[in-house]
Amino acid sequence: MSRDPPIVTALPEFDYEATLAACAAGERAALQRLYAQEGGRLLGVVQRIVRDTALAEDIVHDACVNIWTRAASFDPARGSARGWIYSVARHLALNAVRDLAREVEVDDDTAAALDARASLEAWHDMADAFVWQDSLGRIGPCLEQLEPVRRNCVLHAYVDGLSHGEIARRLEAPLGTVKAWIKRSLAALRECMG
Amino acid sequence: MSTTKTGSIPPELHELAGEYVLGTLPAARRREVQARLVDDLQLQAAVHAWEDRLLPLTGLVEPVAPSPRLWARIERSVDALAPPAPRPAPHRAWWRWDSLALWRGLTAGGFAIAALLAAVLVGRLAEPPAEARFMVVLVAPDDKAPGWVVQASASGARQVELIPLGVVEVPRDKALQFWTKAEGWSAPVSLGLVTPGQTLRVPVGQLPAVQPDQLFELTLEPRSGSPTGRPTGPVRYIGRAVKVM
Repeated sequence: MSRDPPIVTALPEFDYEATLAACAAGERAALQRLYAQEGGRLLGVVQRIVRDTALAEDIVHDACVNIWTRAASFDPARGSARGWIYSVARHLALNAVRDLAREVEVDDDTAAALDARASLEAWHDMADAFVWQDSLGRIGPCLEQLEPVRRNCVLHAYVDGLSHGEIARRLEAPLGTVKAWIKRSLAALRECMG
Repeated sequence: MSTTKTGSIPPELHELAGEYVLGTLPAARRREVQARLVDDLQLQAAVHAWEDRLLPLTGLVEPVAPSPRLWARIERSVDALAPPAPRPAPHRAWWRWDSLALWRGLTAGGFAIAALLAAVLVGRLAEPPAEARFMVVLVAPDDKAPGWVVQASASGARQVELIPLGVVEVPRDKALQFWTKAEGWSAPVSLGLVTPGQTLRVPVGQLPAVQPDQLFELTLEPRSGSPTGRPTGPVRYIGRAVKVM
């Protein structure tokens, strides 16, 4: 992972809300614009969670079809259009890994293999590369107020799609402790961000 | 959702919504939350707030260039579902106005199936003839709520695609199994187990080409699938193939 500051993701010139409205109106070009705008990052986010290139593309496909068919159900009064788009994709990705996890939880060898693979992912490099204040907007300073280990729990969960158990193994911390850290970190973030 | 309404959300609900969006709920709890989200407005508001709070974290992930095939796949899938042409402005206004009701209708049951099929069929008639394709809308037998769309081509690399229109709840110890039966077959043939909310693609080169009126259904079976190779549980979604050009 590079140590350059991450590219700022907010692209105010792209009107996500209008694009979803156009999708709801049956304008295929709108879906294509959205794909051109976000396809690469959607795939990056999904692939990070499912850790499989082919499965990640399947999920981005399903997410785009979902976005197309459900665009009309998006209600701007309830949240941002970009947030909705990512929620559709992350939802499918998380379902995929959680369903898989149900199969492997009883299998210690598989769990150990998953751990070994996870440990190869150079998490520490990424942690060093974070530039909170510049890249993350309002959540940045709030994350910074958390102890690093608690911040890592939140990021392992959201970014890597890890379960409580996987985070506990990765951080070599007791499961109950990890659960409590995450619970308190979420409360602190909500307090901080409103 | 207004801030006054979100202000009354109890802390436990914020906590549940936060863990749901973060992704740390185990599979069974995730499904419970998904089921509640259908009609729990407070939970919806709490989830949307967390989605927006945490969204900037997606910026920590490097984008990955999709393969060129991916957009072509998306287009093909959308082709079979979508109203084909951009609508003129008044029509768009109608869609936007009606769309919430339309899609609520799709999940809650009702007439929307007709609108969907009409849009697809009318659209298809206006297009030049392409290879024969079949489409099936699978509906719940009790309330006729559409839950899935099946697409199948009659020639070429034959594949059946089962596409979800929403998320369906399946008990933890059960699974949905996908079946088809054409006229003259002695019994339905299994097309595999279904993951709720996700598209299933089944190569069907071994089966005869899809026929008009061919039956497709999803039944509730034990988690590892029907033990007998025939449907044993209740039918959750069912529909018959319609030819679209």
